[in-house]
Amino acid sequence: MAEKVLAIDAEKCDGCRKCETACSVFHTGADNPGRSRIRILTWDNIGLHVPVTCQSCDKPFCTEVCPAKACHRDLKTNKVLIDKNKCIGCKTCILACPFGVPLFDKVEHVTVKCDFCDGEPQCVACCEPRAIEYLDEEFVGMNRRRGVFQKFLADYAAGQQPVFSYPEIGAEVGEI
Amino acid sequence: MANPVINSRYFKPQKEWGWQVAVDLYLAGMGSGALVIGLLVDWLGYSPYSSRTILLWGPVLVAFGALFLISKLGIRRRFLNTVMNPKTSWLSRGFYILSVCIIFGAVILAISLLPLLGVDIGSWSLFVRALDMVVFIFALAAAVYTGILVRSVRFVSFWHTYLLPVLFTVSALTTGAMATVMATYTYDLLVFNEAYSSNMRNVLMNITQGLILIEAIVLALYLYTRYMAEEGQSRNSVLLLISGRLWFVFWLGIVASGFALPLVLAIIYSRFSENPILLFAIGALVLASRLLLRLAIIYAGIKDQTPWHKFVELQYYLKFPDAGPVPLRNG
Repeated sequence: MAEKVLAIDAEKCDGCRKCETACSVFHTGADNPGRSRIRILTWDNIGLHVPVTCQSCDKPFCTEVCPAKACHRDLKTNKVLIDKNKCIGCKTCILACPFGVPLFDKVEHVTVKCDFCDGEPQCVACCEPRAIEYLDEEFVGMNRRRGVFQKFLADYAAGQQPVFSYPEIGAEVGEI
Repeated sequence: MANPVINSRYFKPQKEWGWQVAVDLYLAGMGSGALVIGLLVDWLGYSPYSSRTILLWGPVLVAFGALFLISKLGIRRRFLNTVMNPKTSWLSRGFYILSVCIIFGAVILAISLLPLLGVDIGSWSLFVRALDMVVFIFALAAAVYTGILVRSVRFVSFWHTYLLPVLFTVSALTTGAMATVMATYTYDLLVFNEAYSSNMRNVLMNITQGLILIEAIVLALYLYTRYMAEEGQSRNSVLLLISGRLWFVFWLGIVASGFALPLVLAIIYSRFSENPILLFAIGALVLASRLLLRLAIIYAGIKDQTPWHKFVELQYYLKFPDAGPVPLRNG
């Protein structure tokens, strides 16, 4: 079976933060975005919101630096997970992660990160604009590519010059 | 106009490793440095065998430092889990290095006490020398390890350079040498024994001066290379130290108190040898400033921007090419 990954489309995220709420409720039983395993990076001045969560890197630096092997790659799901029962809370993985994903849970005194909610990510379930999706890895990016191509066809059919744009900051970087 | 895409959160220093880590690096460095210097002093024949104990107290400091590191853990009772990943984790490897240094160092320290209890250890000399050699190697490894551990954090560019282990090793030897001078002087002062010759202390003071000079050069080189490095936030970390919030720690606590003043006082000390006030003033300045050095380096470490931040900034500068280079911040 193809491996599933969390596909994030920053253009669709409207910064509602329901994913943070759902994640914290699922994992901690309370609405506490500070303990959410997914975080929204925000650029208020330009209205950009980017959900950030574990990418399950092919070469995960967190597993490399973890002294207790709490951070490991699960053989069944191929996901990078943190075993809370082994974690000593040294925070080295937080420094090691280039995406700044792991966070130190001050209640449990261990480092936590996205564990994909046992295969049914709660953030995906509550994301209305579908900025976060749980897709087979070969289909990641397919929606965006489909959207761009459909826009290209629409512009072409209307006799307009198709333009590729980055709507999040209004930059137009090419014409054909 | 403020740049709208620079997320100023990422110009703030890291908070994951705090003062406990810096204190551990300092004590482990000083303890291992003292052990290295102490063993060298003993091997070169400067110490009376019956008073070797004063030269071998380094493992106590290393162990004490480890307690600070354990205190920083989220779940302290699990600290033994640290042994699990020596294959790739420097934290794990350090556990083994420091453990051997502490345990074997404690053994030779304990053996050095036996003559005071009337036990003749003359027949143990080969065994003790073999132990000395093991402890020397692991003490040197511990001194180098403190820098390698910090350097292994690759996404704090300020730390990710081979000059950092060099700096920490030289610093460990400096503090170790200074601490050994003070320990032997205090021992002679309290015991009225003159077990350690003033000649030995003068030689050690000269070595300490040399080490301070070398350390100053390495520190300057380290800061210069980190300032000139193009990747990451290392330049902002250097600016934080030399002109930002930590400037007084750097210029007063490290440069003035750790290098300039001790060197001046050491020149005066060479004319008034064994003056206790001068000796302890130099010692206090050197030892305190090295702690500040480690605190400054830990607290000035700024984590590099995430790929998301770089991507958004790149797109912003594609749209506004006149916006110029990314403005530097110093937190």
